[in-house]
Amino acid sequence: MSHGYNGKILHVDLTSRQLSVEEPEEAFYRKYMGGSALAMYYLLRDMPPGVDPLGPDNMLVLALSVLTGTAISGQSRMTAAAKSPLTGAIGDSQSGGFFPAELKFAGYDAIVIKGKADKPVYLWINEGEYELRDASHLWGKITGEAEAAIKGELGDDKIEVLQIGPAGENAVRFAGIFSMSNRANGRTGMGAVMGSKNLKAIAVRGKKRPSVADKARLNDLAKWGAANLEDSDIAGLAKYGTAETTGSNQTSGTLPTYNYNSGVFDGWEAIDGTTMYDTILRGAAEGKQDRLGRDTCYACTVRCKRVAEITEGPYQVDPHYGGPEYETTSTFGNYCAIDNLPAISKANEICNKYGMDTISCGATISWAFEAFNEGKLTLEDTDGLDLTWGKAESMVALTEKIAKREGFGDILAEGSERAAKRIGRGTEEYLITVKGQEAPAHMPRVKRSLAIIYATNPFGADHQSHEHDPAIEEDFEFYTERLDVLGFNEEQETRSLTDEKIRFAMASQHMYSAMDSLNLCQFVFGPAWQLYGPEDMVELVRAVTGWEEVTFDELQKVGERRVNMMRAFNAREGFDRGNDVLPGKLFKPLKGGVSDGWVLDRDEIKSATDKYFELCGWDVKTGNPTRTKLDELELGWVADRLEI
Amino acid sequence: MHTEETLEIHLQLYSILREKLPLEAKGRAVMQLDENASLADLLEELNITRRVVISVNGEHETDRSRQLQDGDEIKIFSSISGG
Repeated sequence: MSHGYNGKILHVDLTSRQLSVEEPEEAFYRKYMGGSALAMYYLLRDMPPGVDPLGPDNMLVLALSVLTGTAISGQSRMTAAAKSPLTGAIGDSQSGGFFPAELKFAGYDAIVIKGKADKPVYLWINEGEYELRDASHLWGKITGEAEAAIKGELGDDKIEVLQIGPAGENAVRFAGIFSMSNRANGRTGMGAVMGSKNLKAIAVRGKKRPSVADKARLNDLAKWGAANLEDSDIAGLAKYGTAETTGSNQTSGTLPTYNYNSGVFDGWEAIDGTTMYDTILRGAAEGKQDRLGRDTCYACTVRCKRVAEITEGPYQVDPHYGGPEYETTSTFGNYCAIDNLPAISKANEICNKYGMDTISCGATISWAFEAFNEGKLTLEDTDGLDLTWGKAESMVALTEKIAKREGFGDILAEGSERAAKRIGRGTEEYLITVKGQEAPAHMPRVKRSLAIIYATNPFGADHQSHEHDPAIEEDFEFYTERLDVLGFNEEQETRSLTDEKIRFAMASQHMYSAMDSLNLCQFVFGPAWQLYGPEDMVELVRAVTGWEEVTFDELQKVGERRVNMMRAFNAREGFDRGNDVLPGKLFKPLKGGVSDGWVLDRDEIKSATDKYFELCGWDVKTGNPTRTKLDELELGWVADRLEI
Repeated sequence: MHTEETLEIHLQLYSILREKLPLEAKGRAVMQLDENASLADLLEELNITRRVVISVNGEHETDRSRQLQDGDEIKIFSSISGG
């Protein structure tokens, strides 16, 4: 008897409108677990190389794991993967909320989508039954309106809706896929892929809870988490959101400002999580924000989501669209030297209404700000918008123009790298992209291992792909037990890039990768400060699936498998280490504050990257997986596709 | 103000750490500590046992054995890496 998973994959061919169900064996789920690894299986198995990311031959996989929908914090998450229209490499992102659990309850573990519908459609999955329905009347609607319309016409308020907004319809290259109008598969442009297929939304409803092998042990684990939340390292995150980090990043000099030219920002306190809690969370005026200004995901007691409400002034914000996280307050805030929290929240609302990744959107805007402040863009270029550092109203105006592809927004909707290529005038010097994806608000010149991961990560610069340096540097003493499980027992010097640091980057990358395949929330599970540690993760998998022989090493292998599948996908598209290029400005010193003068050294990065490839078991010349490594990971079939 | 055996520090706590003090304080406090007090002593006084990020007079301080001085401005942050 299978536990945790449904054993059903829904295949959707939008061109022929044929829908079918595949029923993989247990061994398949044991090998890939779900999520990102499962998605990579289908993308490598069924898609040839060289497809147009916005063409009908691209495939979009939405995948859950063997754990999704079980009664414990941090499991209701879903992967969206396809070839990325932003990078041309593999695209991958994760989201949370209630849709993932509901899809599991509706009877499926994943949806594999190919082709293109002749006109807009949405997919309706109801207690195992499925059909494509006309969505012409929904095309063009912002997320909140489309969601309400779908629930209305299907007659059930408990339906969960996953959708693209107008930005995905307009092929904004960093458009995302959204549920609840505020939970995002944000990065790498998966929304543009969905839009290119004329697929507006997926609605799901289901009541079939997954079977759990050992309910008592799952329950014990869940109760432990709930009881220990307040004493854990994520207690602050729960109540104050990820933007509680703004002040500590300011202190350690890793708060990106002036488009990554500085690591400190004078205006930080006006836009941090503590100020957000006191001022703009719903209910703040009556002191009720703890209840009204926070939201959560299915079965999660952490409740870390923000709900912002602003009813006065130039930047009014509807709480239906959630509230900003640290990345968002950074890219629309400190990246542009803006200290106006309502304006930032307005930009967040626009991104959630129209369906865009706040990181790439804000960072593309900050590229434009730098180009303007350096005299390389004029008012004529920017439709008359003054992009002087700190100009909040211009930032908000640009956000909306990008979503609608209006005027200058049409150029920015291509992402900063394409925009810089098109504008020229030396504006490429200001880019902070890797493989065309803009860097998030954690700085490699301060947290050195980010340099290796940003550069080599198959889907571009990404901050949720490994454990950041402080865990094994100054914070090491707090996490010795958990880090020991990963095989690390020695505190490392701050800002070092020793072989041990690189080994830690890789090992933690494998754990994060396993979590993306198990679809676990990286605030709830992880190798250091998270609520649950590596051994808890193993216990969870055993308790749910009944696979009692699962070990941490086996899960690490799933993570390594996923990374290798992605690297192989990219190799098949013609990528190699020549694409693992960090932005030039990281080799120039940061300016101001505690991190003044901090800079990366090209030789050090090159040799650290060599070491990383060596540890990964990849060909150091190309940075690509070898036949030996792929065989070791039971990916011989992938090596066959690569013809190596 | 301080006596011969104490020193005075100006404290600002952020996010969940504010709950170490009464609500109205909003994380702000002026504290009298023993003149030989270190950062570690302050953290013990506040019952802060988990990992935090500390700024002393605007500078990042990771050495908890640091001796405090009269008039020190101390900010203490709870944080995560990521998000």
